[in-house]
Amino acid sequence: MLTLTKDRALALSMLVMSGILLVETRDISPPTSWQPYGSALFPQILLGIIGALSLLLLLRTFWVPSADRKTRPDRPRRSLTSWIKHNSTVLSLFGLFALYALLLPLIGYLPATLTFLVTSLALLLGIDTRRKWIINLAVSCTLAPLVYVIFRFGLNVWLP
Amino acid sequence: MADFFLQALVQVGTPSVLLLILIGVLFGIIGGSIPGFTVTMAILVVFPFTFAMDPVSGVSLMVGVFVGGYSGGIVSGVMLGIPGTPSSITTVYDGYPMAQRGEPGRALGIGVAASFIGTLISVAVLVYFGPLLASFSMNFRPWEITALILFALTLVAGLSHGALLKGLLAAALGLLITTVGYDRNSNLRFDFGFDALGAGFEMLPVMIGIFAFSQLMGNLEKLRDDPQSAKGANTNVAIPYSLILRDMASQKLNTLRSSLIGSLIGALPGTGGTVANFVSYDQAKKFSRHPERFGTGIPDGIVASEASNSAVAGGAFVPTLALGIPGDLPMAIMMGVLILHGITPGPLMFEQNPVLVGAIYASLLIGAVVMVVCQLLLVRWFAKISLIPQQVLVPVVLMLCAIGSYALNNNLFDVWVLFAFGILGYLLWKASVPLTPLILGVVLGENLERQLFRALELDSSWLTFLTRPLSALFLSMAIASVIFSLYQNRKIQRHQDDGAKSRNA
Repeated sequence: MLTLTKDRALALSMLVMSGILLVETRDISPPTSWQPYGSALFPQILLGIIGALSLLLLLRTFWVPSADRKTRPDRPRRSLTSWIKHNSTVLSLFGLFALYALLLPLIGYLPATLTFLVTSLALLLGIDTRRKWIINLAVSCTLAPLVYVIFRFGLNVWLP
Repeated sequence: MADFFLQALVQVGTPSVLLLILIGVLFGIIGGSIPGFTVTMAILVVFPFTFAMDPVSGVSLMVGVFVGGYSGGIVSGVMLGIPGTPSSITTVYDGYPMAQRGEPGRALGIGVAASFIGTLISVAVLVYFGPLLASFSMNFRPWEITALILFALTLVAGLSHGALLKGLLAAALGLLITTVGYDRNSNLRFDFGFDALGAGFEMLPVMIGIFAFSQLMGNLEKLRDDPQSAKGANTNVAIPYSLILRDMASQKLNTLRSSLIGSLIGALPGTGGTVANFVSYDQAKKFSRHPERFGTGIPDGIVASEASNSAVAGGAFVPTLALGIPGDLPMAIMMGVLILHGITPGPLMFEQNPVLVGAIYASLLIGAVVMVVCQLLLVRWFAKISLIPQQVLVPVVLMLCAIGSYALNNNLFDVWVLFAFGILGYLLWKASVPLTPLILGVVLGENLERQLFRALELDSSWLTFLTRPLSALFLSMAIASVIFSLYQNRKIQRHQDDGAKSRNA
């Protein structure tokens, strides 16, 4: 049975992307009378290269096993759900960062940054001991205002 | 040039700029000494703080980080046995055994002294060869520049640890990212109906997103898979100054050779400190009268490693300033700093901005002196800081990246660009795609398109790229670099197959 390896997923997604963008290049204005080539040429060349390389990569996966499979053949293949479970910390951190970007304009720099730092430190350090809470709050409550002061008063940059 | 250098020295010599160099060096050492943080990350974190500065101050701060970062790797290498940066891997071979023998101060002192001399020699190389290369490249026309950029990209892609296809794919993807938004003829491309995409992507959030997220998340995954990698160490260090002076006196030739190797390798696109590190360690071993003692904790190994990786700093500036082609990832970001401050690196920089070029020379020299003083006086504290856990570091760096991206244009769209490219960088990293060619593509994309079309507007025939000798030479070198890396990949694959067969047998 054909399995979706990392290389195959990469090659397929690149092929799909280059196909869509290649179609999109038709909307780019054509060259004027004084231009030998139009604005679409450069992205079209690049998309052609990406498409060709992706196709090569895809074909390669059928006759060369991936380096990962060769060096660690005993490593089990993960299903999507077990992969998500295995990478839950990293995925949660991505989620927290997205939330931070959402909150920045809504509640402002200081509350948003404090929320992000406290929650992400709790996620990574844990919350099972008093010492971890002290480190968490000390880092968050020191750094967030410090960065604000440096940007606002040292560099004259307004933060949201 | 001497006049401009003196003018630059006056500008760099002001208390505020000196303070910035000191801060840069301190941050660089701290960044370099924390395992997994790397020089590149230190540069990326400091980058946003330069937005509001004048070019000389901004560049001086960044040069300080650069100098400090390359020397910082020694701290965790010697104290923990974990290289703080990939460019100090061979420092561990002799530095850690020496520290384990009860001489951590001696190992650190030798490393710092070698770093200092390496930086000074590389500055001399930069001062001599930078203007020479720049005046030679003044004759380059759009055909040559296009071919040279293509050569740099294929070389970097080819050096991507046996992943040539993915390296080339990454470089092309990096170039494609720069085509979003209005082009030089005011034609809109790939905006997908979003007004914000009309201006294209800012280089900084794209670079930070791609590199920082993949690196930080990678560190967390490493910690999850191997919790033992975070270990403690005794940080009580005393520096035996007279012994170090005697050690360094016996390593004159090794120091000079390793510094020259570092400078030369630093000047080649796609190589950087890691390659310099291994090549000079190997050469020191070959030239040594007692090669069997390498790896047991001798000064020779530390000197070879530290002199070469620090010498990369000056060497890497040669192609960046003279040709506008960055040699490695930290230099690509350094070039981003210059572009952000309205300075285009390239042959004209020596004519148009000689004071700034002089400021870079002066900052490198002053940074080297500051580095040696800071390392020797504060090494115990750097050793303590190198124990900061990744779990604390990652959220803090992510927060700084977000604020840095926002501060660029006071625009939240850039924070979302950072996030989107963070996801892209992480996924590409998971798929073992090398990220250096991608970032180099982002840095060089705009110039490549400009030069390519300038060439075609001057002469619409594509054959001109092959009939002009230098352009043809660069293109042949690009093809040769691809063929060479194909050959190398084959060799690596054969070794892996042989290894697998012998394991099964």
